[in-house]
Amino acid sequence: MYCIPRKILFAMRLTIFLLTAAFLHVSAGVLAQPKLSLTVKNETLEKVFAMIEKQTSYTFFYDFEIFKDAKNVTFDIKNATLEEVLTICLKDQPLDFKIVNTTISIVKKKEPQPGLILSNNLLLIDIHGRVTDSLGGPLTGASVIVKGSHIGTSTDGNGDFKLLGVNDNTVLVISFTGYTSRQYRVKGSDAGTILLNKSISPLDEVQIIAYGTTTRRLSTGNISSVTAAVIERQPVQNPLLALQGRIPGLVVIQTSGISGSSVKVRIQGQNSILNGNDPLYIIDGVPVISQLPRTGIDGILGPSGPNYSGEGNPLNYMNISDIESIDILKDADATAIYGSRGANGVILITTKKGKAGPMHLDLNMQTGWGQMPRRLNMLNTRQYLDMRYEAFRNDGINWTSPSVSANDLKVWDTTRYTDWQKELIGGTANYTSVNASVSGGTNAVRYLVSATYHKETTVFLLPKDFADQKGSVHFNLNTGSANEKFRMQFSGDFMFDQNQLPKIDLTQAALLQEPDAPALYNADGSINWVPDASGTSTYPNNPMIGMYAKYQNKTTNLISNMIASYKILPGLEISSSVGYNNMQTNDYSPSPLIAVRPEYRSKTQRVAGYGDRNIISWIIEPQLSYARKIGEGKVEILIGSTLLDMKTNSGYLFGTGYLSDEMMEDIHAASTVGSGVSFRGEYTYDAIFSRVNYNWMDKYIINLTARRDGSSRFGPANQFHNFGAVGVAWLFSSENFIKEKFDVLSFGKLKGSYGTTGSDQIGDYQFMSLYSLYPTGVPYQGTNSLIPAGLPNPYLQWEETKKLQVGIDLGFLQNRILVNVTFVKNRSSNQLLPYQLPTVAGFSTYLSNFPATIQNKNWEFSFNSTNIKERNFTWTSSFNLTIPQNKLVAFPNLSTSSYANKLIISQPISIERALNFVGVDPTTGNYMFGSKIDPFNPTYPGDYTRLINLDPKFYGGLQNNITYKGFELDFLFQFVKQIGYNDALFWNGNRYPGNFYRGLSNQPVTVLDRWQKPGDNASIKRFSTSPDPYVLESDLRYSDASYIRLKNASISWELPSKWISKAQFRNCRVYVQGQNLLTITNYKGLDPETQTILTSNSSSLPPLCVWTVGIHVGL
Amino acid sequence: MHKIMLLRYEFHRIKVALSMVLFSFGIFGCKKILDIGAPVNTVNEENVYKTDVTAIAVLTGVYAEMGGGGSGTIFAGGIGMSLLSGLSADELTLYSGVGDNRLIAYYKNALVAASLLNNYGSEFWAGSGGSGLYYYIFICNAAFEGLGKSTTLTPAVKQQLLGEAKFLRAFFYFYLVNYFGDVPLTVTTDPSVNAVISRTPKQQVYQQIIEDLKDAENLLSPVFLDGSLSSYLSTAERVRPTKWAATALLARVYLYIGDFVRAESETTAVINQTSLFGLNILNNAFLKNSSEAIWQIQPVATGRNTEDAFTFILPSSGPNGNLNQVVLSTQLLNSFEAGDLRKTNWVDSVTPPPGITTYYFPYKYKATITSGEATEYLMILRLAEQYLIRAEARAEQNNISGAQADLDVIRSRAGLAGTTANDKISLLASVLHERQVELFTEFGHRWFDLKRANTVEAVMGSVTPLKGGTWKTTDQLYPIPVSDIQMNPNLVQNLGY
Repeated sequence: MYCIPRKILFAMRLTIFLLTAAFLHVSAGVLAQPKLSLTVKNETLEKVFAMIEKQTSYTFFYDFEIFKDAKNVTFDIKNATLEEVLTICLKDQPLDFKIVNTTISIVKKKEPQPGLILSNNLLLIDIHGRVTDSLGGPLTGASVIVKGSHIGTSTDGNGDFKLLGVNDNTVLVISFTGYTSRQYRVKGSDAGTILLNKSISPLDEVQIIAYGTTTRRLSTGNISSVTAAVIERQPVQNPLLALQGRIPGLVVIQTSGISGSSVKVRIQGQNSILNGNDPLYIIDGVPVISQLPRTGIDGILGPSGPNYSGEGNPLNYMNISDIESIDILKDADATAIYGSRGANGVILITTKKGKAGPMHLDLNMQTGWGQMPRRLNMLNTRQYLDMRYEAFRNDGINWTSPSVSANDLKVWDTTRYTDWQKELIGGTANYTSVNASVSGGTNAVRYLVSATYHKETTVFLLPKDFADQKGSVHFNLNTGSANEKFRMQFSGDFMFDQNQLPKIDLTQAALLQEPDAPALYNADGSINWVPDASGTSTYPNNPMIGMYAKYQNKTTNLISNMIASYKILPGLEISSSVGYNNMQTNDYSPSPLIAVRPEYRSKTQRVAGYGDRNIISWIIEPQLSYARKIGEGKVEILIGSTLLDMKTNSGYLFGTGYLSDEMMEDIHAASTVGSGVSFRGEYTYDAIFSRVNYNWMDKYIINLTARRDGSSRFGPANQFHNFGAVGVAWLFSSENFIKEKFDVLSFGKLKGSYGTTGSDQIGDYQFMSLYSLYPTGVPYQGTNSLIPAGLPNPYLQWEETKKLQVGIDLGFLQNRILVNVTFVKNRSSNQLLPYQLPTVAGFSTYLSNFPATIQNKNWEFSFNSTNIKERNFTWTSSFNLTIPQNKLVAFPNLSTSSYANKLIISQPISIERALNFVGVDPTTGNYMFGSKIDPFNPTYPGDYTRLINLDPKFYGGLQNNITYKGFELDFLFQFVKQIGYNDALFWNGNRYPGNFYRGLSNQPVTVLDRWQKPGDNASIKRFSTSPDPYVLESDLRYSDASYIRLKNASISWELPSKWISKAQFRNCRVYVQGQNLLTITNYKGLDPETQTILTSNSSSLPPLCVWTVGIHVGL
Repeated sequence: MHKIMLLRYEFHRIKVALSMVLFSFGIFGCKKILDIGAPVNTVNEENVYKTDVTAIAVLTGVYAEMGGGGSGTIFAGGIGMSLLSGLSADELTLYSGVGDNRLIAYYKNALVAASLLNNYGSEFWAGSGGSGLYYYIFICNAAFEGLGKSTTLTPAVKQQLLGEAKFLRAFFYFYLVNYFGDVPLTVTTDPSVNAVISRTPKQQVYQQIIEDLKDAENLLSPVFLDGSLSSYLSTAERVRPTKWAATALLARVYLYIGDFVRAESETTAVINQTSLFGLNILNNAFLKNSSEAIWQIQPVATGRNTEDAFTFILPSSGPNGNLNQVVLSTQLLNSFEAGDLRKTNWVDSVTPPPGITTYYFPYKYKATITSGEATEYLMILRLAEQYLIRAEARAEQNNISGAQADLDVIRSRAGLAGTTANDKISLLASVLHERQVELFTEFGHRWFDLKRANTVEAVMGSVTPLKGGTWKTTDQLYPIPVSDIQMNPNLVQNLGY
């Protein structure tokens, strides 16, 4: 041995032990080690190791050379850990061990470097402790760093950490995404349990991004998030509706108040002139189709988008109460990694996951009522009849003459008056929703299972079985190996939806049906057709046809996802996400004879349509991620690839020749079955992507993304394309000169991004020349026939959007006030246009790329403020505002193209041209328009000089949240400044005042201000039974459709814990929620959001005003 | 344990993981995954003209679509030529309760092409849902291109299909020139050519029609063929054009352009095919497989006969504003001679309660729904017209007795005595009159005859005001769709619109 004083030797040994532990035992502690029992008598180490290998799954790794100085060992040990056994084996040997996974390396012992201890004259110790949240739940992956150094570690699955060889009496900085960082002084080696409080600063809320997470503090992209707490306050059916008014740069329009109907979503404006402008929806990593292909009989649900001319919205089949957060990715930095699918922004939906802890059972029940928010002031019977008589007088027609058809005056009882709005759509829709969930688990296994039932009836005058009922199940399972190297997460959402609706929205009838229209039913309860003397029905549009000519939609939707990951080396992780989506729809729409007017029945066969749609997609995304410190900064690298396959089939069959109306639901009861349209699509997609993020001391951050995409939607020549973006952020508030000079500024970040994204939303097979089957009931000559499916273009390419965004984030007064201003300039080029062709070409459209450029320039502002923060009382406000501007920048040869009369350079692409309305001619009582030739007969296109911009001028929302003890009040005002269609100002959009067409002739009271005699100055032309073709195309049709809407309000009360503890509840909350409660607008139609355009068949039910009361109980 | 082995073990795990990733990336390099093939409910263009069955199916598709699958097309039903041209002329009266602005515009000779929303009169050009005459011509052109390239079809099949496509193209252009005057003559599917095409003078279009029909005469089968283009073994359906359809149409074309010699010789060729064609009794004339039929279209909607039957046959409650919007005009009713069986067999009436008004309607097609196979097919070309063509051609050539003989064939079937007209002028007038009562509500014959005979000014000048409109000379031609004018700077609108 060496000649060293004993004391020093002891110190050395201790140091050796500590250093060894520090260098070699990093991962040993976390292994769940087997217990060993060994009896060894003077055996060589090699033998002993072989024995250990036999008892365990561990293997040894060593060089035989090192055993030449080793001594034989003797010991008898029971139930010892591997580590203990090895320590005994190597006691007093010049050897040491290192365990990595299941490999034990035996190495030569290193001599200690004395300077380490002696220069400091301080004892280095190891510290262990545990990091938990305020409820005691362990936090996995929290970072623990010794202040002022780069020494650090992160917590394991139990929240435990161990820091080796650090100074005694040190200060630790503990941080975790979404929690407030904390400094903690450690005395001795046991740090105990360190609590981290959830950050209340919105800066530190977790934001989900593409293949990862970040916070608002550190993100370089333009991302907005909405959390479960906000979503759950809103009694809506489609998660997209919960975003209305809350997100800068996002427009969500509910197109109808009918349950299950479509929703229009635009992120930062319209990028494409005609093609898909829908964002990419991703639920738990599984992309979901953004437009539903139609079944062919589902018209009531409203248009889904231009590609499939389909109906409804896919997110109607997603249970809103299972959602944990929705993140909206807007700029190139956030979306370029989605390449060709990211041009219109991305909406990421993340579902709820189980948390470790005791089992929680949560019950949430709510019930409510929905009603029409307002009514239009329509003519009553007296006013209506006077209008009709006056029209006949003006036209010089004697309406009593037999040749004049005027059933409303001749046949119907002109003393009747019915308020059809009250009668047909004035009902109350009932809402019922019950949700139960069980969650809990350990760190090794966490689970959540939740089930929801939802039922919503209609406001229509229809039996209660006209309702939308949804049942859904959501589960999430999260598990990992004990050493935290392997993790697996499995989740699924399943929904069954049964929606029973009339085939046609009754709103049009409610508004336009003549006030003297007859009773709906006969005394015996049958439909009242009101036959005239000849037997012809004079009430053929009796709205109660809808009770029989109904539409039924049954949809099941399964979204399932599994993520498995494995940490190969510290910082290096491989993972793969596998997703599957299966949506099946069966719909049914009968036309029974009872809904056909009697005189037609002999000529009519019973027909019923049976539609189906199935969408099956899978996605595999293997990824490799690597994170390590380089210098003062941290680099994160992600490489991944995507394989996607989506098959869509839809179509319908129809049956004819049933024996009775009752048998129609079964297609087998039809005597003949014919084939309706069928739609089939397949979309395959593969890509490779990468992201590199470098964060230098949380001060300078650069984020690079790239993707190479291939899509089956393009011809072989143009299948692949590259996309990329760069994002940078400078947290200037971390600079000393800012800290010193502007201490009021608690946070300041300047960020910017630039990059390219693409769009392949053109539908499948567009590059192929195809012939499709022409569906016939009786095949021509007994053989099937083919018809061309359209004009193909084999040279189709990607539509490309270049996005530039610059933003500044500022926080004042310890981030109690947060301000963000973002400037957006997106330019889309290489437009994929269904180029309009003259009909001479055979088909009216031909899809091709055009060198047209569209620019969307947005100013986005958001403002969050904690106005009051006392112990029992808090008041926070948030405000957002977007000022969008859309403009056609370039369109070569526009004047000779088929868009010459539609688009205008440097105007928005949604611009409409209209005649200039001059007024009512006092002499003749007719409308006059600005015209070069004849004010009564303007010509197209020369006189269509007025340009109407239907894009919103600005929009946004103001939200306030006030809590006092257990009470919480939250309300959101949404506002939009815009111009819209406002047919109801001067005519009903379908018939001109005085004109009669069954079921469509009533007029708003505004038409009473009409011209009656020469010299009158009126706003409405003379009543007449014949139409006026031009007013529909004049600027009179457009008017202010701005509104401020109390979109949502909720009050909840958390019962005091002393009350509920008696009932053994964990918590109990009662609440009242309301949606669309109040609308302030000058709009004269039913609703400024849906802009109920009364023109034929598009009148739709406005979003309903909904109230619910509910109780949430935690057990 | 050997150290190499141990090393290998350690790296093996990394290798497996890495190779999994690389494998996935490797797939990326393979373009095969993006190769999706055509959807199963369609056939790729390359394959369509490879086999007889699919190539035949393309032309079959034209016929199937023409008849309408339960709704009207420009050849039948509520937007069909028989209805709309009948309204434009003096054949049909629009029911007063009809609110459809399009029908009103046709009826009052007040077609407009002011703007996209206010555009009535271009249905035959553009269709109402996209299937106008140019759509059908597109399919013919596509068929020429596809058939021309194909080398795998049975020669006889290819020949017949080429003939059908030529015949059809001529047939469609015939209606285009007669409705619109000078029209763009498209002979390719190339959208870049067709999008900027200008109008071709009517005479040139007629030249193309004649050329196509002559080719078709040579290519088409002289006997009726079944769906596989083989000769029928049993009862022949007359639902594919034959050589005689081409000849019959050619006779009509020569008549329209004033080449009476050729008109006569062509029509004689058809009339001489007595083994194939012969006049039927009136009530059976429009049945399926009627011996009078030169070309018919089979209805393809389950349980339905022709769409014209649905449009014209009135329910016992009379006309209405929805399905049954027209009745026969008094002008037409009054033009039947006393004792004309056509007035009793081809016209029917209803007198709904209270029994004041009687409504007359065309009753050539007598059945709407059917429980089994259709009993009536849509008649497109029939023998009676050939006799009338020859009568007119002979009269024009001063062959008085020949003209009289042909005219009397038609008259005698209608139970009428022989014609008393005995000079060219009066015979031509008699033929015109005979055409009015024989061919009423059939594919615009009356509308074209009025224009051809230069009587349109006189007749419509008095009839249009009765319908509530004002007649203008320019109303003779229908307007070109506004959207086509907007998109194609080389297209010029017809005068008066």
